[in-house]
Amino acid sequence: MSQTHHATDETLMRYAAGTLAAAPAIVVKAHLASCPACRARVATYEALGGALLEDIEPTPLSATALNDVLALLDDEDDAAVAVPPPLAPVEIEGIRLPEALRGCDIGRWRWIGPGMKMSRVGVPQDPDANLILLKVGPGRALPDHGHVGTEFTYIVSGSFTDRFGTFRPGDLAEMDDDVEHQPVVDTDGECICLAAMEGRMRFKSVIGRMLQPIFGI
Amino acid sequence: MYEASSPVVLEIPPAFAAGRRLAVVSSIDTPQMPTPDVLAGLMMQVARDRDRQAFALLFRHFGPRLKTFFLRWTISSGVAEDLVQETMLTVWRKASYFDPARAGVATWIFTVARNIRIDHLRRQRDPSTLPPDPEEAPETVEDGLLGAERDAQVRHALTALSTEQQTIIRLSYFSEKSQTEIADELGIPLGTVKSRTRLAMNRLRALLEDQP
Ligand SMILES: [Zn+2]
Repeated sequence: MSQTHHATDETLMRYAAGTLAAAPAIVVKAHLASCPACRARVATYEALGGALLEDIEPTPLSATALNDVLALLDDEDDAAVAVPPPLAPVEIEGIRLPEALRGCDIGRWRWIGPGMKMSRVGVPQDPDANLILLKVGPGRALPDHGHVGTEFTYIVSGSFTDRFGTFRPGDLAEMDDDVEHQPVVDTDGECICLAAMEGRMRFKSVIGRMLQPIFGI
Repeated sequence: MYEASSPVVLEIPPAFAAGRRLAVVSSIDTPQMPTPDVLAGLMMQVARDRDRQAFALLFRHFGPRLKTFFLRWTISSGVAEDLVQETMLTVWRKASYFDPARAGVATWIFTVARNIRIDHLRRQRDPSTLPPDPEEAPETVEDGLLGAERDAQVRHALTALSTEQQTIIRLSYFSEKSQTEIADELGIPLGTVKSRTRLAMNRLRALLEDQP
């Protein structure tokens, strides 16, 4: 399936360079799994990292560095190669979630307003990460907000529409801090999405203010 | 340091030395620099034959570069050497995951070092956290470009950028600095950093799409 809404080049470069924070990196990774075009661009940015590594000024290593590593290879070869067990699907209450969330701590759905549930996702790499799953009923608006940093939203199922268009499963919505937008879930079904914030969210609506304690604002 | 007297050229199996197009690299590489094809040959020897001599040559080439890479992240010299060791041990352990159709050796080792740096940050924050996730299954490559060719093309494209553009790209890859901090460091307005980054990326994309 080819996607309509993609990550920006700057985001893909930061993903390839390893400088994107853990939560946005998970959301981007979810999109990459369904988007060959962005995967190809990440491959190019990784190759750019390889080229920069080749061109970097070498720093001499300690005299024993090579022999130290060669001595360790023996242990590596002796270590039995463990066959990883088959992986259980990543899901929340029976709903299949992106592989990118594997290893994350996914809580239960919590009611946060009429037709709206949320699950806070714990990211082992980053205890301060702002990563959530949202489930919003048909025709309902997502929490009204502006944000301090860039917001990344991956659509797991269903769809929503804002002034930038309609976002469908596999799409990535990347909204800069100066953007105010009001996504509304399309009327044909509920929408589940995975959202990460780089900075803190500023909620304006009543429901939004109910979310604020959860984000620790 | 990769010395001019290094025997690396003599070490490549003929299968890797012959029949591959080297034109793109020869114009930008100094004579003692192993080409992406040579590196891919060494990496395949490590993967297939567990060849320690080939591994040692890769270590001599990439070890000192990886050390600079880690030093750029304000990691102390001793820790940087440990992370070089960890990177190269991972290269040995996961050599069978190296897919020459997917990435060049420099690119693959860059991604290994990048992940080790991220894990190092994680361990610093919380020493109790577990080791990194299991290796993912390789993704399919959509374009037919061989990794070594792409590495050569990207290096070539990089040299075609202006010094200012190269500086900004380097800072984006080798530091956690935001564009605002990069602007402060270079003493230029944020808008200039943003436009230079965008220009550099457009330029790179155009140069790469120009390739046959
Ligand atoms: Zn995409």
